[in-house]
Amino acid sequence: MGRFVNAFRGALLGAAFTVAALSGSADAKDYLLTGIKPDKLVLVDAESRKVERVYEVPNSSPGAITITPSPDGKIAYALVNRWESIAGIDLDSGKQVFRADMSSGEERVKGLVAMDISPDGKQIAVFQSPVKLLPGEFQVQPTRIAFYDTSAGVGAKPTRVIPAPRQTVLMMYSTDGSKLYLLGRAVHVVDPKTGDILETHKTQGWDRPNFYNPDVLDVWSQWEQAATLSTPYYTVRKDKALDDPEAYVTGILTVDLKSGDFTIKDVENTAVFYFSTVVNPVRKNEVYGVYNTLAKFDLNTADTMKSVKSIGLDHSYYAINVSSDGKELYIGGTLGDIAVYSTETLERTGTIKMPGDANMGIAALRVIKR
Amino acid sequence: MKHLKPMNAKAELYEKAAEEGRQEEVQLMQTMAGCTATLDPGWEVDAFGGVSALCQPMEADLYGCSDPCWWPAQVADTLNTYPDWNNAAPAAHKDWRKLQSVYPEDS
Repeated sequence: MGRFVNAFRGALLGAAFTVAALSGSADAKDYLLTGIKPDKLVLVDAESRKVERVYEVPNSSPGAITITPSPDGKIAYALVNRWESIAGIDLDSGKQVFRADMSSGEERVKGLVAMDISPDGKQIAVFQSPVKLLPGEFQVQPTRIAFYDTSAGVGAKPTRVIPAPRQTVLMMYSTDGSKLYLLGRAVHVVDPKTGDILETHKTQGWDRPNFYNPDVLDVWSQWEQAATLSTPYYTVRKDKALDDPEAYVTGILTVDLKSGDFTIKDVENTAVFYFSTVVNPVRKNEVYGVYNTLAKFDLNTADTMKSVKSIGLDHSYYAINVSSDGKELYIGGTLGDIAVYSTETLERTGTIKMPGDANMGIAALRVIKR
Repeated sequence: MKHLKPMNAKAELYEKAAEEGRQEEVQLMQTMAGCTATLDPGWEVDAFGGVSALCQPMEADLYGCSDPCWWPAQVADTLNTYPDWNNAAPAAHKDWRKLQSVYPEDS
C-alpha cells in the first residue's frame, strides 16, 4: 500500500496547493470523491480526469462504503473499519479530524450504510444496527439513528439517538434540515429531533392493483447534485402471464429533498438491471441508470415504457453521479476505473484510473464542489 | 411441545421460557435481500436464468459482494471475522490469485 502513497506523493504536494487555493472560491469546480481498497479515499478533478489526491484512512480496512462530504466540500466522512467507525478526513491537510468508533464493550455496532450530514454541516446522522455479544448468544438490539456533532473531533460520542425502522439502507436530510428521509421497506419521513415518523410512502406493501410488491435494493448515496433521491425498483404485473416479457416492469422512485415530493414511475419492461440511478440537476426529468448497461430515461415520457437511449458497458459499474452543469455522467464502483459519459449522447468521453487499479468495490461516488 | 422432551439444561430453559411466554421475538435481518445466503442462485445464474445480468466480469463484483457479507459461504467474512482477507489484493481482477482460503483460528 505504501507504493501507492509514494507514487502519488509528488503529485499530491502540488495538488494540495491547488485545492486549497480553490476551496470556497466562486471558481469552485467539480471533484469526485470515492474510496478504494483497502483503506483509501480518492479525490479526482473531474474536468482534467486526474486523480488529485489519495488519502490513507487509519484503521479502516476492508474499505469505505458510505462517503458523506461536508457541505463546504472540505471534509469527507467515511463509514469504515467493518462499518463500525466513521472517519472524517480533512481533504486539504489529509488528516483525520473526526473519528467515531461506534462499538464498545459487549455491544458491536455497525453503521448499516445509511448516513448523511445536516445541511449546516454540524451533525452526522448514521443508521446503526447494534448487537450485544453475550457469552452464550448474540442479542439483536433495536435499530436506531445516532447523531454526532462534527465538532467533536477524534473520539466522538453520539449526542443522542432516535429509534429507526429496521432494514433502512439510505438516509437523506431534507435540504432545510428539518426532516430525514429513510429508504428501506418504505420511504419514511422522520423528524430528526423526536424520531417521530411523520409520513410513510409505501414501497413494499404498496397498493398498486395488478402489481406484486417491488424489489428495491440501493446502497449508493448519490442524490447531492439534484437534491433528489432516485432508485430503481422491479415489479411484476399480476394481469399478465408470467412467461410474458411485459409482465416484468422496471421503475424509478424519486424523493425530492426540497419539496418532499415522492413519485414512482414505471419506465421499461425488465430486460436488464440497474443497480443505481441519478437525476440530472439541470433537466430533472432525466434519470440515468447503471450496471452492465447505462441508460437514460425521461420521466416526462415514461408512459412509452422505453429508455431514451441505452448502451452496453465494458464492465459492470454500481455507482453513478452527474456533473453540476448536467453534461457529464461519472460511473464507478466495482473495479478500478471511473468512466465519463455525455448525458446528451451517452458517448464515452473519458476514463479515470484509480491508483494501482485498486477496486472501488461498494464505495460511494460523490461529487463535491471545491 | 408435548411430544418433545428436553435433552439438556439449555433445552429445558427453552421449554420453560415457552411455557412462560418469554420467547424472544424473531428479528428481521437487517439486510434487505440476500444473494446466495437466501438460496437465490446468486453466483450461478441471474433472474432470467442466464448469466448476462450477473456482474461482468465476476471480479467486478467480488469486493462489492464479499465486503458486505453478501456471499457469506463462498468468500471470507471481511465484515466481522477476517477483515484483512483481501487487503493484499486491492485490484481483484489482477490480484485474485493472492486471495486464499481462511480457517478458524484457535482461540
